[in-house]
Amino acid sequence: MLLSRLATVFAAVTLCRAQISEYFDEKLTVTPLKDGKVASTLAFTTLLKNASPRNVERLHDDDDSQHYTLFPLALGQILREYGVTEMHLTLNAGKWNYDSWGHPVEPGVGTGAELWAWIGDGALSTVDARWKGLRNALAGLFCSSLGALDELRTTSPTEVFQPEGSLPSSTPHQLRHASHPSEHVCTENLTPFVKLLPCKASAGLATLLNPHRLFDANWHGMGVHVLWHEDEGVEVRLTFQTVSDPLRNYQARKQDWSFESLFGRKVERACPAARSSIVEVSLPQDSPYNLSPEPTLAEKDVAWFDIQPASKPVDISMSYMPDFNPGLAARLAKPSTPLSVQRTLKESSQAHGQLSVVLKNHESYPIQAVYLETMPWIVQFYLHTLTATLDGHPYTSAFSNLSYIPAVPHSRPSTFHVLLSIPANSTLKVTMDVTKAFLRYTEHPPDAQRGWDLPPAIIAPLNLDTNRMYTPTLLVDLATPDFSMPYNVIIFTCTLLAFLFGNVFNLLTRKFVVVSLKPAPSSTIKED
Amino acid sequence: MLPLTLLHLFLGLSASLLGAFASDHQEETVKGFFGRNGTSQSTHTNNWAVLVCTSRYWFNYRHMSNALSMYRTVKRLGIPDSNIILMLADDASCNARNKFPGSVYANPGRHLDLYGENVEVDYRGYEVTVENLIRVLTGRVEPSVPRSKRLLTDEHSNIFVYMAGHGGNEFLKFQDNEEISAFDIADAFEQMYQKKRYNEIFFMVDTCQANSLYSKLYSPNILATGSSQVGENSYSHSSDKDLGVAVIDAYTHYVLELMEGINKTSQSTMQDLFSSIDPNKINSHPGVRSDLFRRPLDKTLITDFFGGVSQIEVVDEEEGVEEEAGLAGGNGEDSVSSTATAQARSFVIPGRRASRSKRHTEPISSTSTTTEANEIWGWVGSSTRTWGAVALFGGLVGWVRMRS
Repeated sequence: MLLSRLATVFAAVTLCRAQISEYFDEKLTVTPLKDGKVASTLAFTTLLKNASPRNVERLHDDDDSQHYTLFPLALGQILREYGVTEMHLTLNAGKWNYDSWGHPVEPGVGTGAELWAWIGDGALSTVDARWKGLRNALAGLFCSSLGALDELRTTSPTEVFQPEGSLPSSTPHQLRHASHPSEHVCTENLTPFVKLLPCKASAGLATLLNPHRLFDANWHGMGVHVLWHEDEGVEVRLTFQTVSDPLRNYQARKQDWSFESLFGRKVERACPAARSSIVEVSLPQDSPYNLSPEPTLAEKDVAWFDIQPASKPVDISMSYMPDFNPGLAARLAKPSTPLSVQRTLKESSQAHGQLSVVLKNHESYPIQAVYLETMPWIVQFYLHTLTATLDGHPYTSAFSNLSYIPAVPHSRPSTFHVLLSIPANSTLKVTMDVTKAFLRYTEHPPDAQRGWDLPPAIIAPLNLDTNRMYTPTLLVDLATPDFSMPYNVIIFTCTLLAFLFGNVFNLLTRKFVVVSLKPAPSSTIKED
Repeated sequence: MLPLTLLHLFLGLSASLLGAFASDHQEETVKGFFGRNGTSQSTHTNNWAVLVCTSRYWFNYRHMSNALSMYRTVKRLGIPDSNIILMLADDASCNARNKFPGSVYANPGRHLDLYGENVEVDYRGYEVTVENLIRVLTGRVEPSVPRSKRLLTDEHSNIFVYMAGHGGNEFLKFQDNEEISAFDIADAFEQMYQKKRYNEIFFMVDTCQANSLYSKLYSPNILATGSSQVGENSYSHSSDKDLGVAVIDAYTHYVLELMEGINKTSQSTMQDLFSSIDPNKINSHPGVRSDLFRRPLDKTLITDFFGGVSQIEVVDEEEGVEEEAGLAGGNGEDSVSSTATAQARSFVIPGRRASRSKRHTEPISSTSTTTEANEIWGWVGSSTRTWGAVALFGGLVGWVRMRS
């Protein structure tokens, strides 16, 4: 009886444990760009099959033991602790040039730190409390100051940031999004990133993560994405994107690249824990080239290399026959994206400024796009001055579905969300007057003369199959007091001295008498 | 009524005396285990480091390089990242002005890259403030602060606190915006002492007029050193032509030079460190404050503060078995020491020559049995005295009571 009971328990435990399995895939995508640069995206995906997010209502109870072999434990513990179903963290440096480089493989290219998460509602602690815990835990894990993504920068733009995976239908979820454009990215963010990988940086494609070359790139960005797919399980995708410039060396005339020239390293051996290790190279269409070694599979415009069975170090290289001709390349190539966006802030004085966004539609059909602005309270909109001009003429039917959550000074940022319709082959200019805020003395950062970074605006096209686009960040100059001590000391001292001297002088040299004013008779006023 | 109170008093006194003597005995055994090896006589069990660079902007590259030199040193000598709190007020390595991204160099020829590929910065940018430093030191952090940003020390931790930046007479500037004074630091250390958050602190400062920053300390077990006296500046060492800025300060340069020649097994002392800095070369007079430090400086190892070196006993396998069999028959007081030797057994490194380990263990085994015997006799004698005193007191009270 006891033995049969034990046997059933044992069988159940082994069955349950056998069902949770983990798969690790790694992929490198290399794309030569039309201006001579090379965009590369490393993606490390770990899938925890048949796992599901933690039940939010039982968050205060002790959690079940989680046994992972490939799935990163540090990240898993944080997400289960705060009941987070989906999370995206990106740390980027540089400005992504959509016109020259097209759309990136991973869409989150906003400069600085961007964190957004879908958090389940219904636990004893509020979503905001758990959002704070999540930010600080990730700040500690990735050595970045994400704790600064507090209520000054947090919004909830649900239409634009829809979940990329699935959300459990049993609990309602809330979105929290925050971005910190002035966050730096450096080796200390890469160190814990590498520690989350099964093979670390010693085998597989992760050996290409050489910080001295990655942080030398024209644009680089790191991403951590956690999703839940209802029929698959929990997926963690760690990405690192770079845009490197083979032509930066003044002696280089050709846009040749190889692993040695891009990353400074070769892939010495494959990661045994990986189910697949693939390198995907986009082949140039308009100039002769030479690709070595031989790809495993090649089509007209893409070549794949499977480096899992590689026996010697892998160094994929592409060499071009002709020299790089920048003028020819720019003329031949079509615009890389259907939509071009440019955002500027004209700020002539503290009270008068103008935010303008210029959207150019290169296609021959109208484009509907959502324009989202999550502006900190330091720049406040005058919504009644929102105007649109099409190729220089006023255009009234540009806006629809406008939703605006105004900013709360010293606290919440403003969320401005409008659906724009841009006709074919035309330029739409959207302008709005803004005013800048006056900060309290203690709210200025230590380098107040630099100004404040404004987070990127997000353009999400609806009738295209491309992902959202990020505009570059803006720098706004706010009125600063004079922090210099000598000036303050001189002013205070002079004022005090003047006050004291004036009073003493008056008391010494003037005599104060009381004069009684009799009502003046009319006869006294006469001319002599 | 009275006999009942007398009985209670009697029981209470005897229980407290028993407790006092039992813990006394255990403490002596523990002290004996730690003091058995080496010349260090240190009673610390773990090492922590708090390394702070307080200056922002590219032209203060050398202050970040100072803090990173100490980071490299303590990491190389064995303190893990989880026990190091590194605070850098600005990003020099991936700064847009840095011609060599991902690197921070310590010398003009760019031979030594301090950043490397495995660095963890705990507080960076705007997070390096006076408030955060004092919160980290005293442990009064908000509940949301993650574990890697906390100083989780206990009363057996040796802490190395290093600060670099711009300073003056009894103050240190944080990010050109606020200042920490010597009184703040002294009070923070006193809070740590009251809360038993350190065993010993080594406080090193590399700023102008650095010696004034430790002049106000008043808590015990703190050893402090600074790079220049009051009225003196601390100078940078040299600048790199390609980077365009000074890469390291002179005082830290010579400290780093000495440390690069030290490894985990080094027996160099703090006195060697302090004597190796030549005031003529650094153009300032460093100072040392050791009046609050109870150990002599020539017996204090550098690795007591800079390294995470653990005490290991290597015991040969046969000797360990005999010892345990011999002591197993003893009374309960021996259990502490026998478990200590059992643990020492687990550190046996295969391949060691038997003769060497025998030489090492024989005197220990003989002295351990004799000290055990002495301790037992001592305990018996002192407990007789205590019981006698208690009985005498009880008799006196009873006699007075019966008379009245």
